[in-house]
Amino acid sequence: MPSLLRKLTTNPKGAEEHRPDLEAVATSLDPVPAYCDVVDGHVRDVIELTGEAAQAIVEQMVKVDSLAEVMAGDVVQLAGTLSRTELELGQVSYSNDQLVSRLIAYFLHRDHQIRTLVDQMRELNQHVKEIEEVSRATNILALNAMIEAVRAGDAGEGFSVVADEVRKLAHRSAEAAHGIGRSIGDLTAKLDAVLSDDSQFDRSQELPPATEETAMTRRLSGIANAQREMSEMVAGILKDTVGAAEQVERSSAALTAVTTGAVGHVQFQDISRQMLEHVMDAVADVRRQAEDVAAYSRGALTEEELGERRISVEDLRSKHVMSRQRSTHAEQTGGSAQSDVEPLIELF
Amino acid sequence: MTTVMLVDDSATMLMSLKSILTKAGYTVETAGHGKEALDKLGKGVKPNLIISDVNMPQMDGITFAREARKAPGMRFTPILMLTTESEQSKRAEAKSAGATGWLVKPVAPDQLLGVIKQVLPGA
Repeated sequence: MPSLLRKLTTNPKGAEEHRPDLEAVATSLDPVPAYCDVVDGHVRDVIELTGEAAQAIVEQMVKVDSLAEVMAGDVVQLAGTLSRTELELGQVSYSNDQLVSRLIAYFLHRDHQIRTLVDQMRELNQHVKEIEEVSRATNILALNAMIEAVRAGDAGEGFSVVADEVRKLAHRSAEAAHGIGRSIGDLTAKLDAVLSDDSQFDRSQELPPATEETAMTRRLSGIANAQREMSEMVAGILKDTVGAAEQVERSSAALTAVTTGAVGHVQFQDISRQMLEHVMDAVADVRRQAEDVAAYSRGALTEEELGERRISVEDLRSKHVMSRQRSTHAEQTGGSAQSDVEPLIELF
Repeated sequence: MTTVMLVDDSATMLMSLKSILTKAGYTVETAGHGKEALDKLGKGVKPNLIISDVNMPQMDGITFAREARKAPGMRFTPILMLTTESEQSKRAEAKSAGATGWLVKPVAPDQLLGVIKQVLPGA
């Protein structure tokens, strides 16, 4: 455009001779403003669309952030609940172990008591044998007394009656002692059998209650072991789940960091908007210059006025605010790109 | 609660920075240009920090920084200029107007939060 003006304004053939040409130039330039308006509109569209897109991206990122935060909160809550459950399970398992141990100790104690009882019964049996011995001796004494009473004749008749009664009593004592001894013997044998063999519990549920003690301790130990294994298995599952929840929490935090970074990158839209606005300003300058040239061609603007309003590439450079714009300008105009030595962040 | 006032004519920038700062635990006030921000200060808004763009309609960021310093209680409030402008003369102008620092767009969120911690220790 400036070169065309130079040609027109320095034409040695004179202005009058070229008037028809100038009108043609003006006519050719007439569509330029409308053309520039359309370009301007398109650029505005780009700004508007990228602006809408950038805002939508930020909104979406904010939503993702919110969801990630909610998810992280839920996971933390779940991990907390699982940890507490794991702790409580451990406590319950420990309590059960303690209870079973106490029950086993109790039954062992009972077992010991019964054995002591059996021993005492054996001692009683010994006493019964002594009674039997005394009874046998008494019986012999009664017989001797009877013999002496017979030998004494009538005088010993009364004594004979007493001796007979003593013999009867000795006999009854012997029978009673024998009976007691037999009962103790039976009882001792049964207790011995119970203590030495708890398999009766497995064979029948109708066996005497006394057989339950030893079987019970064995079964309690089995239950305790099974319960312990179950607790360990559940604790393992809980620990794995807590680990997974913690992993989700870490992933959620990483996701939030990524979305924050992405939101930061949306600044590109503001930067490109400003660049495009400068392009629009440049287009407006070209538009104005086209109008000026058309006006000059029609005689509505003097050559001096036209020269004063002429656009220049240097003017364009002075409007740049970004180092990127300046370096691009330098590249396009063949100049050297000035390196940007200023820090991007500076505290005064 | 630490309040940050964001001043920028770009709705995208306001939304982006507000999101970053809110997530970091700050309360955010926004204004579309210097005049609107100054009006808010006049109405009693007392930010702990101002982050302002430079090139804005109605009132640019450097003029706003100069005027904001005159507002009650704003003499020592940090004012950071966040802009695409990289001209050294503009930095010097902002410094003399009372700005605390100069950040060139785009600035990474962690860098921005780091600078805020520098100018607002303990916040």
